[in-house]
Amino acid sequence: MFKKNIIFYEFNHFIRSKAKLYSFVFFFLACTYSIISGFNLYNKQIKTIDEVKFVEQETIDKVTNWFKGETYGPEDRSWVDVRNPYWAIRYTPTHAYKTPSPLLPLGVGQSEQYGFYHKLSIWSSTMDSDVIEEISNFERLVNGNVDFSFLILYLLPLLLIILLHNIFGLEKDLKINNLILNQIGSYNKWIINRLIFYIFLVSSFVNILLLLVGVINQSIDSDLLKLVVLVNIYIFILFVTFYYIIKLSNSSFSIAFKMITVWLIFYVIVPGAAHQYSNLRYPTNYMTDFLDANREETYAIFKKSKEELYDDLINIYPDLKSSAHAKDSVISREIVRNGMSAIANHLNINAIEKIEIHNQKKNSLVEICYWFNPLSFFQNKWNSYTSTDYMSYKQYRDDIQQLIDNRLELLVLGTWNKEVLEIESYNKYLEKLK
Amino acid sequence: MKDIFLNEFKGYFRNKLFFSLGVFFFFFLSIVTYFSILQNEEQLVAQKDAHEHIRAQWDDMEASNPHSAAHYGTYAFKPLSVLNSIDDGVNSVTGNVLRLEGHRQNDIAFSESSQSLVVSKFGKLKPALVLQFIIPLLLIFLSFSSYTSERSSGRLKLLLVQGLSLRKIVFAKSITIWFIGLIFLTTTIIVQLIFVDSGLNEDVLSRLIYLLISFSTYYFILVSLTISLSVLFNNSTTSLSLIILIWVLWTIFLPTIASNTSEKLIPLPTRAEFKEAMLEDRSKGIDGHNPRGERRDALEKETLEKYNVENLSDLPINFSGILMQEDEEYGNMVWDKHFGSLYEKLELQKKSYQLSGVINPFAAVQSLSMAYSGTDMYHHLHFLKETKNYRRIFIKTLNDEYAFGGSKTGERGWKASNEFFRSVKDFSYTSPSFKSFYKKYLTDIIILLLWLFISFSLVFYSTKKAKIDV
Repeated sequence: MFKKNIIFYEFNHFIRSKAKLYSFVFFFLACTYSIISGFNLYNKQIKTIDEVKFVEQETIDKVTNWFKGETYGPEDRSWVDVRNPYWAIRYTPTHAYKTPSPLLPLGVGQSEQYGFYHKLSIWSSTMDSDVIEEISNFERLVNGNVDFSFLILYLLPLLLIILLHNIFGLEKDLKINNLILNQIGSYNKWIINRLIFYIFLVSSFVNILLLLVGVINQSIDSDLLKLVVLVNIYIFILFVTFYYIIKLSNSSFSIAFKMITVWLIFYVIVPGAAHQYSNLRYPTNYMTDFLDANREETYAIFKKSKEELYDDLINIYPDLKSSAHAKDSVISREIVRNGMSAIANHLNINAIEKIEIHNQKKNSLVEICYWFNPLSFFQNKWNSYTSTDYMSYKQYRDDIQQLIDNRLELLVLGTWNKEVLEIESYNKYLEKLK
Repeated sequence: MKDIFLNEFKGYFRNKLFFSLGVFFFFFLSIVTYFSILQNEEQLVAQKDAHEHIRAQWDDMEASNPHSAAHYGTYAFKPLSVLNSIDDGVNSVTGNVLRLEGHRQNDIAFSESSQSLVVSKFGKLKPALVLQFIIPLLLIFLSFSSYTSERSSGRLKLLLVQGLSLRKIVFAKSITIWFIGLIFLTTTIIVQLIFVDSGLNEDVLSRLIYLLISFSTYYFILVSLTISLSVLFNNSTTSLSLIILIWVLWTIFLPTIASNTSEKLIPLPTRAEFKEAMLEDRSKGIDGHNPRGERRDALEKETLEKYNVENLSDLPINFSGILMQEDEEYGNMVWDKHFGSLYEKLELQKKSYQLSGVINPFAAVQSLSMAYSGTDMYHHLHFLKETKNYRRIFIKTLNDEYAFGGSKTGERGWKASNEFFRSVKDFSYTSPSFKSFYKKYLTDIIILLLWLFISFSLVFYSTKKAKIDV
């Protein structure tokens, strides 16, 4: 099956064909550039997270010093006492972070559509503007990043069109194809051996780059291996498709035309149509459920009586029934009002759940379309391995919600139990807040 | 030349493959345009419903303190232009909702692309996608085969022997294929005009005409370039490889490279840096809720002197409202400084991207397509500036009511009536007319014209250099 001389012949042809050689070199440079850009983004995110952590630690140190210095609050705000859990938590804004995956240099995915750090306060939610997206140039977002996944998934097929379009086509153009039959005995064997050279060239080049990033970022793990498998399956499918086009066409022009048509159909038209269809079925959400919870319903909380707030909080946190404040004969206006943000959070959770369900329905539709829109499957799988897909950010939002819940639970239980914090208990709070 | 053109055109109609392709693209474009209009109208209904829902909440607000109402705030929903159905530009990546409230200038949030998995890298199947990616490729292949088939079949020699000049032949072929592109363009425009229910006005019509002119110019550039390269290179494989490479570079690669480079040349701050800088500048002003500070003392003194009274309690107005507005004015200054600088950077990035049209005419046509559709960054920034202006009027109206509406200093429980809240003007956005915006796109227009000149020159050059033995 393997004919070394055909493969060597192809190598010579490749070296001598300037258009093909330069295209490949250009692609190689683009891949290198994309990985360097990916590393830059990765390092930028790590650096930003470190800076935010530094500022966060400064704030925590300030509060800790109030405990140590027994001042318990800022000089110009005498009413603040951080021994009270309410003030301790209000003066300790921590952050939730989405630490970038070490494989981020291989695929930026949807990372630019979301923030990767979020300042948490008692009024935070997972739909705050800094969870939504980092400051970016919108038109640059439309054009996308020169990231490695884009080059492999979208541009590699175009490179292959340039490399493969005249295999067997040129011979047919020159009407010398019968010579191949005489010399080799089979067109298929001849085409496959020529293609093997390119399979070897492309897959070794891509695999080396994938593993290189893994080695540099010390992340040779299951995600990288899954990515390697995914990429190789993708390359194999591309070659099989192009093999049949080459086999069934009768000129270089016809091969190029068919290959480009396949590219247009599966890379532009079908994904575009699936996108349009999913938007028709599930139009962009204006988040009115969340807006209502965040504004109308939250403001309604402010108008509630202390008895109503008391009941609301007991419903959300049944453990409060056995708290110190629950045993008091009079409801403290201050204690129950300090827990208003917890009621607002509860409203937000319910509203956000509806939005997430809407998004999930849209995602299910996108996934159903994978049967005829395989490129989106490869793109989203790739993004999931580099932790830059919608689901990774959904997980990040869930983590944020958990931290908000922890914060509010500490606040409500702490204030209702009339805890008086010392430095040790404050440190225990910190463990739960981070 | 007219005869060659007519002959070529008839030839295409007689060719079954081409005729089928032509019919297919005619229906394909019509369907794509129709569904885009449908999707746009659905989105517009959703946007209108959300807007009315939020306004109804405002109108139903019971008597409240105006400053509480400022905190309660309102929302601005980004409306879609009628021509968003042709090219949705940046709309899928920008947010759609902006909260307008006291003390804070928020960011627009909830972009479409953050609401689901990735579906398509090149966007929805809208006319712009077909006109920018698919039709050009079809024209490239038609142009390539149009010349090389004549050459390989020997017909070219025959035509030259009959006394026709190569230049005339090339021009006639270019115009024929360009005309086919024009038919597809016109189809899109006509379907758009037929099915759009409302919103068609003089500005929209002029935008559609400019869109037609710009795309047809781009198509002529592509067609003449392809035929010229086919003339220059005797080896059809080389010329086809080169043309495909140019298409890939122009359409896929260079736009990404150019926009990434412009962001590297003019870097934007991270959100953390941006917020930190704003917060620092903001802290130097008056805190409306903080009863201390030098600036506050100065304002108090000034107000007391103005009303010729000794104490705040003697004022016939509510000093808290004045204080809140002063806080806003300072915040506006800070906002202008930081967001002004950010918007300037974004505009500089856009300008540097537009310059990339010198090596890539696709960048110019892509930029113009978004511009005519009212969906590019300039239009988006215009929307943001309008929301900013509205927010200032909105908050000032509430603060003025708090200060001068009948309450006195210290009356925190004072409430403005529901009639007052109903009288506060709602946010309404009108997209700028293209006339008022055209200067921003002069670079793109000039570059496209420059490329048109280059393509004409290339036809002249290639036909002069071509060696055909007759």
